[in-house]
Amino acid sequence: MLNMEILVDNFFGILSVVPQTVALAITIFILSILIGTGMALVQEYNVPVLKQVVLLFKLFLRGTPLIVFIFIMYYSLPSIIGYFTGLMNLDYNANNISPVVILIVAVSLTVSSFQAETIRGSFLSVSYGQIEAARSLGYTPFQAFKRIITPQALVEALPEFGSAFLVVMKAISLGFMITVVDIFAEARLIAASNSYYVEAFVVAALMYWGVAALVVKLTGKYESYLVSRT
Amino acid sequence: MVTPSTWEIVSLLLDVAHITFIILLASAVLGLLLGAVLTMINVKNIPVLKQITVVISSFTRSVPIIIQLFIVYYALPPLLGNFGINVTSMSATVAAILALTLYHGGYLTEVLRAAYKAVDKGQHEAADSLGYTPTKKFFRIILPQTVPVALPGWGNALIHLIHDTSLVFALGVADIMGRAELIAASSFGMNQVQVFLIVAAIYIVVTFLSDGMVRLFEKKTQKFKLDSGLKAKRVA
Repeated sequence: MLNMEILVDNFFGILSVVPQTVALAITIFILSILIGTGMALVQEYNVPVLKQVVLLFKLFLRGTPLIVFIFIMYYSLPSIIGYFTGLMNLDYNANNISPVVILIVAVSLTVSSFQAETIRGSFLSVSYGQIEAARSLGYTPFQAFKRIITPQALVEALPEFGSAFLVVMKAISLGFMITVVDIFAEARLIAASNSYYVEAFVVAALMYWGVAALVVKLTGKYESYLVSRT
Repeated sequence: MVTPSTWEIVSLLLDVAHITFIILLASAVLGLLLGAVLTMINVKNIPVLKQITVVISSFTRSVPIIIQLFIVYYALPPLLGNFGINVTSMSATVAAILALTLYHGGYLTEVLRAAYKAVDKGQHEAADSLGYTPTKKFFRIILPQTVPVALPGWGNALIHLIHDTSLVFALGVADIMGRAELIAASSFGMNQVQVFLIVAAIYIVVTFLSDGMVRLFEKKTQKFKLDSGLKAKRVA
């Protein structure tokens, strides 16, 4: 059965990389919302060329497994960045680019294509009457956006954002393929050093489970808070 | 070292494609069965078993699939060994199918349960009042109405499953991704991007074929959908 001593030992070993993993997940999550909003705006406002680019990009990301996209980025991003820095005559060696950066780029691009749909849907769910009402009260478009539309759209999008965060959290477990150390990679390293594989993976699974439970609880609380305000 | 041409890479990858497809097909079918059984237990409110289904679906949804793969591959043999079941010779392919089945089944439970609950209560009562046996009621009345509701969610789950089969090479299965890694490693960085773009293309084709299939099903089963008790469309 499980070796308890190793289990407790692993628990604290793996716990030490949880903050790092969560921080990475938060970074990617915020970036994906920003890029997703950009994509949603491009689609909503029918920006000519950009719209086709976004559609093609979404098509590609929807069909490609994340790990394949991570590898494509891992092998092509340094030369792409190198090409641009070369054009601008910058003295920057793109081959030294950190795998963490590559992981951030790959995962946030993939998740953003799903975020775009969430964001589009939640803004469309706010009725047009709300915008008209704000306008009749003399709100500027920015005020209306900030005070009337965003709070209502956020309530709609919050459960989706919660699960998107968990998707990100799970997705960065693939970082071990390009040598990024997160919960799963740390578990693998510990397991390789003492060859107690079962214990390490069970502890890692419990960590993810705990984070997921926490996120579900927090989004639930925040959602009821937002609902009570609107 | 000779660098293979694009067509050579494509044929090298397609040589092992059947392994990916077998894993995909087996776990899709078995996962659907498992999901159906778990849903049945869940909606019938069978005491202890119901709690187990809740734990399974929460676990499969919260833990990265790569860890689920590793747990099944490394933890299951010693765990079953405690009960005198010897599976130490379990191959990586079998472990992959098992892990993906559990994952797909646990995921589908949520989809199927919501779809089952979406069938109007009056439909159950009507069937009962007509003296249908429970089996007859399920297959003639409830199931046809559950399917169109469940299809979009099932399609999404299927796409997730297709994408997640790309991870089984981490257990040492020699599937498309395993072969791709091999080609990328052996060509001294010459055509890594090319290899993975081809892998991406293969997955995109499979994803959109399955997406199209699900949409076709959706069209075919549309006629079973009822708007409400009163505004029933022509049900054949």
